[in-house]
Amino acid sequence: MERRSFLKGFGAAATCAALVPSIVNAADEAKKVAGPNEMSVESAIAAITGGKPVTPSAKVTLSAPEIAENGAVVPVKVSVESSMSANDYVKAIHVLAVKNNNSRCANVYLTPANGEATFATRIKLGATQDVLAIAEMSNGTFLSAKQNVKVTIGGCG
Amino acid sequence: MKTLVKIKPKDYKVGDIVKIDFMAMHPMESGMRKDKDTGQIVPAHYINEVNFLFNDKVLTKMVTWESLSVNPVLSISLKVSGAGTLKVLAKDNKGDSVETSAAITPKG
Repeated sequence: MERRSFLKGFGAAATCAALVPSIVNAADEAKKVAGPNEMSVESAIAAITGGKPVTPSAKVTLSAPEIAENGAVVPVKVSVESSMSANDYVKAIHVLAVKNNNSRCANVYLTPANGEATFATRIKLGATQDVLAIAEMSNGTFLSAKQNVKVTIGGCG
Repeated sequence: MKTLVKIKPKDYKVGDIVKIDFMAMHPMESGMRKDKDTGQIVPAHYINEVNFLFNDKVLTKMVTWESLSVNPVLSISLKVSGAGTLKVLAKDNKGDSVETSAAITPKG
């Protein structure tokens, strides 16, 4: 392809890109299927708490390796101290990777039938970052715990 | 999507708390990775919903994203209240869904 036609094509593409954002917002549903999701940790936390304060607490235990050789598989375990009775239980556990493109990993909605508020999985980390666990209690408060994980080989890409 | 539900330990009584492991064979594509051969971006393909039901009552609901590792394992606890069936319904963002069940049979 000659330089001229390439530039023409490029210009057209750039114009398209400028127009696209408004369309993309409308077609968020379609993007879910095709493209990567993006959400910063601030907006993810805001979506979870609805603006309520999150207090770091010793009741929430987050265990993750301090150094993860492979960022593609980082085991994460969250447990929250709670009696898990009908009046006092952990409603939800949210796991967030602070610097990932889409910081949300999993939202886990528990019930008293669980007996124990525990959740374990394996997540991908793109770079060295904090892993954050937020526990939503039945009385409406939010408790959190976080741990820094050093990643030597990134897991995204 | 191939799935598996494991209950640990094998022997338990009514009132015990057991661990439930749900495993799925899934690529969990983030939508950011490029195919090495074609240079095209691989579209996002990940499990976005997992529901655990015990005797058709909701035990735990999960909303998940592509940040989970390939072939994810999700573990939760269950306080055994009696015999019954544990059902796990998993869905991915392309609409593929699968139902897996396991029997809860407490001894004594």
